[in-house]
Amino acid sequence: MKLGTKLTLFNAISKLVIVILFVLLVPVLIKNISRNYVDSKLIKQKNKLLQIVKSKGIETYIENGEGYGSYLPLKEEYISLDEVDPDYFLDTIKRGKRLFSEGDTLEYRILSHTFKVKNKNYLLEIGKSVDTLDETSVPLQNIAFQVLLGMILLTVLADQVYSTYVLKPLRLIIKTKLVGQKFPNFHTYRQVRTTTSDFQHLDISIHNMIETIADKFHKEREFISNASHELMTPISILQSKIENMFEEEDINDELKGRLLEMQKILNRLKSITKTLLLISQIENEQFLKEDKVSVSELLQEVYDEISIRLQDKNISYEMLMPDNWHFVNINKFLLFNLFFNLINNAIKYNHEGGSIKVTGVAVNDKYMISIADTGIGIDEDAIPLIFNRFKKFRQSLQQDSFGLGLPIVKSIAAFHDIEINVISEKDKGSTFKLIFPATLIVIS
Amino acid sequence: MNVLIIEDETALAHELEIFLSNYNYICEVCFDGTSASEKIATNLYDFILIDLGLPDYDGLDLLRESKKTNSEAACIILTARAEINDRIKGLDLGADDYLPKPFSLLELQSRMQAIIRRKFGVKNNIVELGGFLIDLTARTISYYNSVVNTITKKEFDLIAYLILHKNRTLTRMQLSEHIWGSVVNNDYDSNYIDAHIKNIRKKLNAYAPPDWLETVRGLGYKIKINA
Repeated sequence: MKLGTKLTLFNAISKLVIVILFVLLVPVLIKNISRNYVDSKLIKQKNKLLQIVKSKGIETYIENGEGYGSYLPLKEEYISLDEVDPDYFLDTIKRGKRLFSEGDTLEYRILSHTFKVKNKNYLLEIGKSVDTLDETSVPLQNIAFQVLLGMILLTVLADQVYSTYVLKPLRLIIKTKLVGQKFPNFHTYRQVRTTTSDFQHLDISIHNMIETIADKFHKEREFISNASHELMTPISILQSKIENMFEEEDINDELKGRLLEMQKILNRLKSITKTLLLISQIENEQFLKEDKVSVSELLQEVYDEISIRLQDKNISYEMLMPDNWHFVNINKFLLFNLFFNLINNAIKYNHEGGSIKVTGVAVNDKYMISIADTGIGIDEDAIPLIFNRFKKFRQSLQQDSFGLGLPIVKSIAAFHDIEINVISEKDKGSTFKLIFPATLIVIS
Repeated sequence: MNVLIIEDETALAHELEIFLSNYNYICEVCFDGTSASEKIATNLYDFILIDLGLPDYDGLDLLRESKKTNSEAACIILTARAEINDRIKGLDLGADDYLPKPFSLLELQSRMQAIIRRKFGVKNNIVELGGFLIDLTARTISYYNSVVNTITKKEFDLIAYLILHKNRTLTRMQLSEHIWGSVVNNDYDSNYIDAHIKNIRKKLNAYAPPDWLETVRGLGYKIKINA
């Protein structure tokens, strides 16, 4: 999941949780607030009444010892004043039920207060109906929920917009610097514009790393190219000298045998150097990709070159290739070498009397050519390493290779954007699948 | 045949001279471009072998000069810098052939022979060996009136190469370099030459034993042609 999405999602969820908690708390809060409000109003009314009693005398309300009572028509408020025992004392505000002469029982918040006037003790009660209070909390809760939900949507939207804006440099860094970089061909450095210092730092660090890798890579290629070129002349001199010595008439057989050994060793040196040079030439893109050739014809040419090796090991060879497939935009010399090396390996690591099958299949808009052998196979954990230079993971019966066959294959494949998949089972055989993009094969 | 060898590696120039002299070429050697330029301007040659990597001269310039003053000469480019562009440029400028170093002297000789055949329009290049008629131009082998059509391209290449270097022992290495030279290969094994020779013998034996194709024990093969 992208960073931006994660942030937005977290924001939305956390806000929603807080709002739900708040909405659940609303009734309690409202009850508390309205009770305080009612209580303060009751106290105000009590004070006002006591004020009246003080200035105008208790007679305003009580005459002849008869109690005073008054309520509003719907009984949502009432006041009562009665004479009580001199020892009776009360000064509270609490909930309570009151029965009216009409038979109604209503619930009130009741202020009870006793006070003394002219040695007589009086009890004052002021009540306010609580039903009206309870009824308000549900609609309030609804309104609060709706308003807050709206606010959440607004803030989430704002968050989204802002995080998109603030994360834009990061997306740009990922898009231009990390995704789709075809190693080692890096694009030229273009600074990502941002005021966020973390991103500036990231951008520069990635750029420096890429530059270092590219530089090392370039130097390695340059070195291999120079070294293999420089080795060509001395090898050429040695080869000529050995060949000329063979021509000498007075050399005995024993010496000729030793010359032959020298020629063999020199040949080995020559093969290694030539292969390294080829790889470096491919990596430096010194080959054109302008050839067009029929797939089955090219494979036939490879077969002609290699048939003696198949025959030598009594290996059967089968090719299932559509005749109308043509390679385009390729280098024929390189593709020839790619197939030669893969089929040569299929022979080399095969058992006496084994078989090799070369098959072409169209898969969606791509083309797959697979080379399957019945040979000794490759250890599963060695598969990712078989394309490394000078590494030999499979012991062939003849000790005659130096581990550059698959590196050639890999370089040629990378040069043409051909994907290679290797499937192998120990002692059962290996299959090398070459996946060609539609730009390299046409059907005609 | 007069050959001018332009090669700044004296050791290599020396070996080229020895080898070509053995094949009865008359050789002159230059170790730098300036003296080579003078020689090209004053003498006439049949072959000019030019090393592209000279310290004082661009080998391609020498090629241009030779085309001017020695237009009959066949130019073969020898180079260690086997750049594709050099090759195209060299052939564009009129070089007759191009040999990347390291090359086999036998290969050089066979390329020179091919140029000679081309220049002089040799059409009938037929060799008779123990009843077999081998036509090197048409690339066919026949035994009296029947054509031996089982011989493959590779097998014929081997026979032709041995005939070109007749009476010389060619090692397996030299033979495999000739017939598999264009393949950049992981192997340095040349045992497959034996398999090819075995096949050739089997196929020819159906007509007559090819005694002229000799195995030189421990070394390689040779084709004996008297005089």
